[in-house]
Amino acid sequence: MVREEEPKQSPRDPKIQPRESNPIETGNGPSGNGLLFSPRFKSAAAMAGWDEESLLIASLVVEDTPEQDIKQKKRSVFRSKTPPTNSSRRKRRVQRKSPISIPVAVLDLDYEETTKEEGVKEKVEPQIVVGNEEKKTGEDDKMGESFGASCSSSKLPCLDKLRDELSCAICLEICFEPSTTPCGHSFCKKCLRSAADKCGKRCPKCRQLMSNGRSCTVNTVLWNTIQLLFPQEVEARKAAGALNSREEADREIPEKAFHSSNSRNQSRRVSGRDVAVRRRVLLSQDEDEDDPAPLAIRLQMREAEHQNRELGSLTRPVRVSSGREIRAIRRVSSRDANPIRRRVPIQDDDAALALRLQREEFMDAFRGTSVQSSTSLSSARANLRAMASRAANRGAATRFM
Amino acid sequence: MTTSSSSSLSLASTSTWVSTTSVSSSGKRIQREMVELNMDPPPDCSAGPKGDNLYHWVATIIGPPGTPYEGGIYFLDITFPSDYPFQPPKVVFRTRVFHCNVDSSGNVSLEIIKDNWSPALTITKVLLAIRSIFTKPDPYNPLVPGIARLYLADKAKHDELASEWTLRFAK
Repeated sequence: MVREEEPKQSPRDPKIQPRESNPIETGNGPSGNGLLFSPRFKSAAAMAGWDEESLLIASLVVEDTPEQDIKQKKRSVFRSKTPPTNSSRRKRRVQRKSPISIPVAVLDLDYEETTKEEGVKEKVEPQIVVGNEEKKTGEDDKMGESFGASCSSSKLPCLDKLRDELSCAICLEICFEPSTTPCGHSFCKKCLRSAADKCGKRCPKCRQLMSNGRSCTVNTVLWNTIQLLFPQEVEARKAAGALNSREEADREIPEKAFHSSNSRNQSRRVSGRDVAVRRRVLLSQDEDEDDPAPLAIRLQMREAEHQNRELGSLTRPVRVSSGREIRAIRRVSSRDANPIRRRVPIQDDDAALALRLQREEFMDAFRGTSVQSSTSLSSARANLRAMASRAANRGAATRFM
Repeated sequence: MTTSSSSSLSLASTSTWVSTTSVSSSGKRIQREMVELNMDPPPDCSAGPKGDNLYHWVATIIGPPGTPYEGGIYFLDITFPSDYPFQPPKVVFRTRVFHCNVDSSGNVSLEIIKDNWSPALTITKVLLAIRSIFTKPDPYNPLVPGIARLYLADKAKHDELASEWTLRFAK
């Protein structure tokens, strides 16, 4: 794929052509990407939420700090057709940076393989993760070169080293939301903050002064690295943190909520049973009745006495049309009441829609206590009734049986 | 009624909870240090909790060879503050030692466990620092000026006295 498109690229920009024939460039064609970012690094960066373009821009910012240099080269590129620089990487970047005639596609062409790799990455992720992160941490944390090479071959000793390297000097555990000081030392955000509060604004490791503002930002790359490398530790600490914050924040709420939700569930269950019983009674009473109106009215009156009116609204009109339908819908609604089996597929669209409406009605009914939402309730009920009757009128008697 | 009971319950739980967390963060760190110390002890040093209390340790340092303190076993008490890594531990000699930086009640004048404390320091490092004052006394920041003066004026006499003390108190 890369080879197909590379010739296309050169005629597009004839000035670039001679440079493309540069031995380095042609030599590593697609693998030349590795010069800029290794695929691993890229995929890791992608995990961190960086797309390719931003990565490129970032690299431009980081590596080509002298802006003038770039401009100069650009100029020289356009004036003289001879390859003016010695570093092919630099050239590439210059060419990319000039917004003039180069379409976005060129970017993609250059990085064909890496994008492919990224596509594959999702599936391969678990295996490459460790390798990735080792690479990155090497960059991030100024790690010794010593283990860089040995990493890929032997995992476990390396992981121990990494654990040492990635642990916070203050709490001695794996850095949680690491924050990096201007002097390059990383600590847990919380640890660093409390160190700054209690021990003065100096780096705990090297005692260099650190500014306040920066000490609170999380080093995203490092944090992602740690999350990928030590998921258990991070999870444990997250859970502990969540527990703490929850206990701190809604100290009173959870119990109440638990109680209320419990009672709510109970009432729902009871009401469901109630309604079912009543329905059965009504069914036996009004079996031969054909006119829906009086029945609906009667039902409504009864339901009005009862606080929870949810289920009746659905079954009422349907029952009128056919007895079997009710059972079916009752089954559906009981399914709905049962959270585990809620996902049982429902073939009929209308029934699904009715179910959804019913759920909404549930929500409404529970949000307000009793009378408050009567208008919205009734309108919803009207909708529902229309729906249900339509469903019933289709006469899909075999649908549920 | 339920609300009142729940609120009182939660109040009680909060008070206990706050204390446990503040303890546990420092406790965790101390525990970690203990594990690390056991795994990779510094030369001629040992340390560990005195009893059940994680915050009270006892440590020993063996007088480094080539010094008048050679062969002496020096016991130290270490007390961790409740906000430990952010406050330095208190280290006190329990064994009498003839040293210009250790006074008669065992207090040590060591910058890193006073003003120059850093939360990134560990007990291991503190013990190593204390061990290093045996080899290199700091007579310019003395706790016992008399010994410091003697050390500067007549080192031989100082060493003689120091080894005498070592024999008397530390062996």
